[in-house]
Amino acid sequence: MSTLSIRAVEKWYGALHVLRGVDLDVEKSQTVCIIGPSGSGKSTLLRCTNLLVAPDGGEILLDGVRVNSPSIRPEWVRQQIGMVFQSFHLFTHLTALRNVTLGLVRVKKLDRTAAEAKALQELERVGLGAKLHAYPAQLSGGQQQRVAIARALAMDPKILLFDEPTSALDPEYIREVLDVMAQLAKDGMTMVVVSHEMSFAREVADRIVFFDQGQVVEQGTPEEIFDRPGHDRTKAFVGKILR
Amino acid sequence: MAAPSIHPGGTPAPVTMRPASRWTRAAVLARALRVGIGVAATLAGYGFIVWLGTVGVYNLAYAKGLVPALWQGFVLSVLIVAVVIPIGFAVGFFVGWARTLRNPIVRGLASVYVDFFRSMPPIVLIAFAFLLGLIALRTTIADPFLLHWIILWLGVLALAFHTAAYQAEIVRAGILSVPSSQSEAAQSLGLTRGQTMLRVVLPQAFRVSLPALGNEFSSVIKDTSLLSVIGWLELSGLALVQIYSGILVYPLAPVVIWLEVAVFYFAITFALNSSVRVLENSFKVPGLEAARL
Repeated sequence: MSTLSIRAVEKWYGALHVLRGVDLDVEKSQTVCIIGPSGSGKSTLLRCTNLLVAPDGGEILLDGVRVNSPSIRPEWVRQQIGMVFQSFHLFTHLTALRNVTLGLVRVKKLDRTAAEAKALQELERVGLGAKLHAYPAQLSGGQQQRVAIARALAMDPKILLFDEPTSALDPEYIREVLDVMAQLAKDGMTMVVVSHEMSFAREVADRIVFFDQGQVVEQGTPEEIFDRPGHDRTKAFVGKILR
Repeated sequence: MAAPSIHPGGTPAPVTMRPASRWTRAAVLARALRVGIGVAATLAGYGFIVWLGTVGVYNLAYAKGLVPALWQGFVLSVLIVAVVIPIGFAVGFFVGWARTLRNPIVRGLASVYVDFFRSMPPIVLIAFAFLLGLIALRTTIADPFLLHWIILWLGVLALAFHTAAYQAEIVRAGILSVPSSQSEAAQSLGLTRGQTMLRVVLPQAFRVSLPALGNEFSSVIKDTSLLSVIGWLELSGLALVQIYSGILVYPLAPVVIWLEVAVFYFAITFALNSSVRVLENSFKVPGLEAARL
């Protein structure tokens, strides 16, 4: 049974058909990279997955349980699906440590000591054990994104979603974030990553999904997609980003 | 720059904090100076009044005799402010919050509240609260003293509802200033909508709202003088009473009385503004200071 199964998911924004029957399976401990032109619905797919946006049709199954259902609280679902955003979205009024403990204390109901121990562990895991009491505005983009990863990790999610995690970063900070993500993949984290970082996609991803016009066009191993794309649209897109 | 290792083996760069600069020390000094100036100005105002008396501009004995008489008004004004601001803030907070909600009925009701109370001069609201109270309660409350007491406080409530409308807009502006990405991040962690509001949106909204709230609080202090029209003997009401009796025996009485009243109002406003300033500092976020040009 897949950790995450997306079945025939549909999403409309007014007259705009953003997701046109998307099917995607992510197995436990797999890293899946989604690539595709901007505006193709990749971000919307991630947002539908953790129910930040309600899908208009289809099913989201988490460990075989349908979660886009009125009988399931969306908070319960989001707690188990970590999300890392393009622009970090750290809570600006809280220190790095408090950014991580907020969910532990308010959602997981840990007491403060246990929450801080867990937060410290996760912040050390992303190499920020020395920045516990820094506020987001005092951190570099790379550091902020690593705090954001620690914040998502602390909730012990079944799966982590990354929405273009390095696109808002200055080039010098991209490596440190990708390194953290690569280590997570090695540690067996289940991940879905929307990203055009070729080195990451090639070396870390188990599977590449080419997404265009609200649909999965083609998927396969990095070699299959990058070296021998089967579809014309994939060929054209891969040709552009491999320049 | 080397990429930091995610294993404890790699030592992360040491935390570098900006040292307390000349400017932050200057800011502390400026804050102390500000309080000093406020206290000094109050004392100087009083000293000036005394001096005017000693050089014979007016009767010093009369001016001194006024202070205890006006003191009761001062205490009452402080009491009224202490009632109006908490009620006004509580109502304003919920109305302002309601105006940001998705539910169109709640939002609509809150908008009607704001539109109505912002369109009425506070003096009209106070007069109507008093008159409506009088008409409605006249037959049910026999005790004339109790009736009088109740309708006087209805006037105070009117003032609270007036400021609530303004504070609602301030709170709403604060909430709108927090980007939706902040609530998305909170909800992605599994926080409920209530928790997101309480733990993520409101703390950031207040940081932005406080200067404007301080502004509104000082307005409220001065608006309490309008309560004199329904017979409250707070600072202004008491001043008028003193003028009516004093002007017969001493022509400069109004000048002396209003001067002393001004000093009292300054003291209340200054104390409140200083408290708001302290609150503002406690909401400051390192790294998010405003531009200093």
